[in-house]
Amino acid sequence: MTTPVSFSACRRPDGSAALAVHGEIDLSNSDALASELAAALPEQGRLVVDLTGVEYLDSAGLTALFAHASRIEVLVTELLAPTLAISGLSDITVVHEVGRSSG
Amino acid sequence: MVLWWGPEFHFIYNDAYRPFLGDKHPALGKPGSQVWGEVWQIIGGPLQSVLDTGQSTYSQDELLPLNRRGYLEETYYSYSLSPLHDDAGAVRGVFTAVSDTTDGIIGARRLAALNEIGAVASRARHLPEALRMLTEVLGRCGPDVPFAAAFLREDGSGKMTPRVVSPAGGTDVTRAMLARWPVGDVMRSGQPVTISGLDGQYGSLPSGGWATSPTDAMVLPLTGDLGSAPIGAMVLAASAGRALDDGYASFLSLVAQQTAAVINSALAYESQRARAEELAELAGLRSYEARWRAALINSISEAFFVLDDDGAVVEINDAFAEVLGYGRDGVPYRPRYPWWPPPDRFPEAHARVAEAQEQMLRQSRGDFIAPMMHRDGHLLWVEATFNEIPDPDSGRRMVAGTLRDVTTEHYAGQRESALAAMGMLLARADNVDAAIAGAIGELRRLWRARRVLAVAWDGRPEPEVVSTDGAERWPDLPAGLRTSINALKDRPLLTPTTGDQASAGITLDYPGGLLALWLDLDPAVPYTAGDRTLLALLCGYLGPALHRLRQADEQRATVIAMQRAFLSPAQLPPGFAARYEPAAPPLEIGGDWYDVAELPDGRIGIVVGDCVGHALESAITMGQLRSACRAMLLQDVGPAQTLKAMDKFAAVIPGGMSSTVFCGVLEPRTGDLVYSSAGHPPPIVAQPGGEIRLLDEARSPALGVLPYIERSEARWHLRPRATLLLYTDGLVERRRARLDVGIAQAAEVLAAGRPDPVRDVADRLMTQLAPAAGYEDDIALLIYRYPGPLELRFPAGTDQLAPARADLRDWLGRCNLSVRTAQDVLIAAGEAVANAYEHGSGGASGQPITLTATATATDLYLTVTDRGRWKDSAPIPGAYRGHGLPLMRTLMTEVTVSPGQDGTMVAMRLRITP
Repeated sequence: MTTPVSFSACRRPDGSAALAVHGEIDLSNSDALASELAAALPEQGRLVVDLTGVEYLDSAGLTALFAHASRIEVLVTELLAPTLAISGLSDITVVHEVGRSSG
Repeated sequence: MVLWWGPEFHFIYNDAYRPFLGDKHPALGKPGSQVWGEVWQIIGGPLQSVLDTGQSTYSQDELLPLNRRGYLEETYYSYSLSPLHDDAGAVRGVFTAVSDTTDGIIGARRLAALNEIGAVASRARHLPEALRMLTEVLGRCGPDVPFAAAFLREDGSGKMTPRVVSPAGGTDVTRAMLARWPVGDVMRSGQPVTISGLDGQYGSLPSGGWATSPTDAMVLPLTGDLGSAPIGAMVLAASAGRALDDGYASFLSLVAQQTAAVINSALAYESQRARAEELAELAGLRSYEARWRAALINSISEAFFVLDDDGAVVEINDAFAEVLGYGRDGVPYRPRYPWWPPPDRFPEAHARVAEAQEQMLRQSRGDFIAPMMHRDGHLLWVEATFNEIPDPDSGRRMVAGTLRDVTTEHYAGQRESALAAMGMLLARADNVDAAIAGAIGELRRLWRARRVLAVAWDGRPEPEVVSTDGAERWPDLPAGLRTSINALKDRPLLTPTTGDQASAGITLDYPGGLLALWLDLDPAVPYTAGDRTLLALLCGYLGPALHRLRQADEQRATVIAMQRAFLSPAQLPPGFAARYEPAAPPLEIGGDWYDVAELPDGRIGIVVGDCVGHALESAITMGQLRSACRAMLLQDVGPAQTLKAMDKFAAVIPGGMSSTVFCGVLEPRTGDLVYSSAGHPPPIVAQPGGEIRLLDEARSPALGVLPYIERSEARWHLRPRATLLLYTDGLVERRRARLDVGIAQAAEVLAAGRPDPVRDVADRLMTQLAPAAGYEDDIALLIYRYPGPLELRFPAGTDQLAPARADLRDWLGRCNLSVRTAQDVLIAAGEAVANAYEHGSGGASGQPITLTATATATDLYLTVTDRGRWKDSAPIPGAYRGHGLPLMRTLMTEVTVSPGQDGTMVAMRLRITP
């Protein structure tokens, strides 16, 4: 089976651009994440990347995030927080740790 | 093997013994005195004494005149009689182990006879003396030559007159009867004749000490010196106690040859002496003193020599030249003499003759026996006598002496010990290969052969070759040698080749076909007709021994094959380790067993059991119970019903009663166990935290004791990373100690082994619980740690990543880890798998990736292996994508990357904090 993942791009209540990801990111679909990120980036301002619905993210996904480190803000649960910290992404990107998303 | 049972010694024997019985078979169960009437006065007494006193007896080389082929046969046996007790301890019968030593006894006796006859040659000074001594010697050979008559042709008349009749006196064979033997025909034709069925037409012949008179005889030519026309003929009767077979006929032929040699030697001596008497007439003429002295010296038939005080041989006679091949024209011979064996080829012989030389130079008189080398290159043994004499002219010390050729006597002694050595070697060998290797070694040693080959044809396309020179194969032998060896197949068995001093070949019967022996001889070592006889005798020992050993080999192979059928499984599902040690080597099975039966739905039946009784019987019971248990488990009736079915079965098979069994069904996906026990010691569980639990519910009595008893079941849930031990009481039961002491010890080892792989725990249980003297009882043990290891194997494709993660996540869930820990492992594994995919296959799907995960109480172990090909030799860390390896190293306690020719293995360990 292919790795299950879904993307939805939207606008947040405060007008900022957001990209929500649900499922798992690995080598098989990290390219998809990269292209979704690129497409969702606004011309100005940051893109909020909501990873609270992501059960699995490894270095394949991190690479895609690192590519746009200065232009994104990342939302994660405690599940992914250590991964981002260890990789050093938390040092160069704004990372918010929140509770699990329900959607 | 033979048994005598009861006061009438009813006779019981097995198939292997039938050939010994000859016509007496069938004799199974008959009273001993009826079967063995002709020797009952010899063996009845000892048998009775064993029955009365219970003391074993042993008889060596006892003569038992058996009538088993229609005549009274001279046979010898070594046998032991041992008491057989019943359960109450009374002696009810006698057990006999017997071996036929006839060939050795008679072979040795015949060789001794031949030697004695040959020795007459050196002692007899003239013909009448030789004939008298022959008569006397032959008279002492009664058991093998009950009657002998040697006829010589008179020079003038051409008539044949009997000159030796043996035994002298004590025979009423008249001249007229002697004249009836066809000696004239045999002498003219030069061919031996065998006469069977003697019935008095030549008189009543003496029996040589046997109970019956001879029925067969041979008439053989007496050859002349050096192959000239026969000088007479000799009648030799065969003892009625032995059949006149090829071996006996060869012996008689040799007797005739030796007799001829003795007579020829005496005749030669006589003519020499006649010449010496003629020469003695010259003695009175002092002017011929020098020639007289030389002629006198030369007329001495023994070899004569004189040494001067430097040790040079300054005088010898013709006889010396005949013995050693070095003549008077080579005088003086200085040390080292040319007849000394060269030290490079014959170091011991050289040393010995050098020592003898020392002796001769130091002592004033003496004698010695030493080996020497004839001028034509062959070795011989000489006996020398010497005396110091002062030179009449100068007064200087000289040594005079005589020597004679004693080769025959020397090698005769060697031959007797060769027969004994071969007999011992074959008795000690316990398989065919060892017997053949030992036999060719003995033959090589005996004749100092360069090499001995054994070639066996047993039905396979290519004969098998064994060599004293190490491994050799038939196709690698020179073509000429293969032709010669193949030609041996056309010869009769046990008939050595003749005519060639460089090699000897002989064939003998071999299990499944034929065995040929080929000896590459050393031309310097004597090889005569006597040696050929010896070779035939030795091979006569070897043949039956090989048959006996082949039977033993086949029996052993059968036993091993049957044992394998009984053994518990060696291949176990993941998470299991087992040990099995039967108490009674060399058996590989005993009364204990373990079993692991994979049921169709993924559950696993686990069993451990113990049958009562001694080794082989309990093993047979075990095999049956094990099969019954497995069959019931596969029917999925559950442990309690399985034991109930085994109750009924155990009650009807021998040895089944009181067997103990623990039977359980494990669900490896959840750790749930349902079990029942029939009198068996309780399995032990070591929890991941170290506490010990015993699975001691659902207990009911051992099998078969109360066949209709109800048996219950109990359940247990194995916690993740707990360890379960099933065992038999051999592991924990010790004399003079309570059972629970041993169980507590086992529990301690199990608990201590929580961090270790189950196979190491199994080893440790076996070594740490063993008493000082070793285990007394069988041991079976089975260990399981839940969950069993995960083993995934999948092609390298990105579509495989998610399913593999799902399996691993599922397995990690069964390990009872924290969410954080599970996630960390998942990521580290995911990284390793992704990297394996990327660089291992260069992006091309297809090469499989293997992932294993194992959990102990304290650690998690993960390995990821890929089998891809590397395009370059860059170190692996450099090939990892930037974040992967650091992530792995941070998340896991230990990461090791091992690149190799066939792929790369990444091994990771995570210490689990409770």
